[in-house]
Amino acid sequence: MSHRDAGPAQFWGQACAPPYPCKDGLKQCLSEFKQQLAWVERLDVTSGQVADPVSQSASDKDAVDPENDFQREMSFYRQAQAAVLEALPRLRKLQVPTRRPDDYFAEMAKSDQQMQKIRQKLKSKQEAMERSEKAKQLRAMRKYGKKVQTEILQRRQKEKKNMLNAVKKYQKGLSDKLDFLDEEQTSSQGNKKGSANQRIKKGPNAKRRYKNQKFGFGGKKKGSKWNTKESFNDVSSFRSKVAHNKGPGKGGKKALNKRPGKRARQKMKSRAR
Amino acid sequence: GKWKNKERVLIFSSRGINFRTRHLMQDLRTLMPHSKADTKMDRKDQLFVINEVCEMKNCNKCIFFEAKKKQDLYMWLSNTPQGPSAKFLVQNVHTLAELKMTGNCLRGSRPLLSFDPTFDKEPHYALLKELFIQIFSTPQYHPKSQPFVDHVFTFTVTDERIWFRNYQIIEEDASLVEIGPRFVLNLIKIFQGSFGGPTLYENPHYQSPNMHRRLIRLSVAAKFREKQQVKEVQKIKKKGSKVLIEEDPTEVVFETPAEEKPVEIQLVKPESKPIVKDKKKPRKIQRKKQKKLFRTE
Repeated sequence: MSHRDAGPAQFWGQACAPPYPCKDGLKQCLSEFKQQLAWVERLDVTSGQVADPVSQSASDKDAVDPENDFQREMSFYRQAQAAVLEALPRLRKLQVPTRRPDDYFAEMAKSDQQMQKIRQKLKSKQEAMERSEKAKQLRAMRKYGKKVQTEILQRRQKEKKNMLNAVKKYQKGLSDKLDFLDEEQTSSQGNKKGSANQRIKKGPNAKRRYKNQKFGFGGKKKGSKWNTKESFNDVSSFRSKVAHNKGPGKGGKKALNKRPGKRARQKMKSRAR
Repeated sequence: GKWKNKERVLIFSSRGINFRTRHLMQDLRTLMPHSKADTKMDRKDQLFVINEVCEMKNCNKCIFFEAKKKQDLYMWLSNTPQGPSAKFLVQNVHTLAELKMTGNCLRGSRPLLSFDPTFDKEPHYALLKELFIQIFSTPQYHPKSQPFVDHVFTFTVTDERIWFRNYQIIEEDASLVEIGPRFVLNLIKIFQGSFGGPTLYENPHYQSPNMHRRLIRLSVAAKFREKQQVKEVQKIKKKGSKVLIEEDPTEVVFETPAEEKPVEIQLVKPESKPIVKDKKKPRKIQRKKQKKLFRTE
């Protein structure tokens, strides 16, 4: 399909030869071709772009990088917006309707079927996004729940341990306050040598205290009844009359109830027979 | 009102177009109520036949799609009886039916045309602008048109090409949604006449698709050839012209050969050497024994 040029163009006296842009030729052609129509017939708008509130660069269009798809499309969008903002008031002045009334039903460029398809696609996309969001949230919540649960369990264990320790301490006579029942934990730790010996703040050794805290006051299970210095020196349960066998008998000896010995019993038995 | 602006546009194509081009053509026919369709033109006929076709259909503008090699799409825009006309290479075609184009407009409603300020700066762009306006704007009170203005065509010059977009006007505050179709026009030439005649303008930035493909192939071939050349050079270097150094007579001056030993022929097997244990070096077994001793002590 060759389109042969009819030689170098002759434009009203001027030759138009390569390199081609002969501006005079173009201008004259344009002037011949141009139609003098009212604007309302043509509806053309030449405008720059609507100022972008988010743009970082200056609002000159040369900054638009054609390779950057999003930027490019946004520039087209803004150009269309500027045109619309300029043209609509003019149209309203010329009383050309721009808004379609709600009861005006007419054929659309895309069929209803097509629009349905589009709506379906959008919906499915949105649903997919929502689903993924929900899944993410569920995962996060599960993680959090697990964490909270472990924390609670640990706290309970600790409380139990502390309670038991307090009870033991009370049993051993270290602390005669029943504060632990009121769920008040006292942090003072007495030592094993009894509350009479109330030591001042220092208490036992730091190492001892740490071990007490960690391992509790268990100690030896049986060993609570010792011959300690105190118990040895404790002569409150001494009765001299009992010890020297000088007190009154308990209402006479139970001579009547004294049981005869084995031989005597056997004799009695054989005699009774 | 009365329909005064009698513009009719003939939209048709040559043979050998693919589905996308066909859909684009149909979309343009849908969007432009002042258009007429025609059958595919045979490739044998020459281009000026189109002028006659247009005259027969009583059209004064024409959009002609030409497909070459089943790959490249060219578009002619022309004012049929006297011209001018322009030829473009069409790229990046997206049709109305694509699901990402969510907007819709009345069939046959009149479009707003929006142009870039660049169109006013150059005379060839000014001519193209006039051509676009006359072809794409729907005449007022056209019988097939709808009276509302609810969509806008944008023509933008970016990267030496003309980008076409079609947006639906949703609200009066200019919120827009794309309807489609979209394409990119790469200007090749502007002619004074319709489908022929003297060339008014030739786009210096235009590169024919054949040339483009050829360049790509050449660059790939060039890379390969370069690699080969490098390999050959390396081979030559390896083989190397081994430089023959001449014998230097003064080298031999300081050579003093050693005394020759008398040749001894052994007839009897020599005695076997006694194995001398190196006591300093602790053998493994000894070490183990030492370890054991240590423990019992």
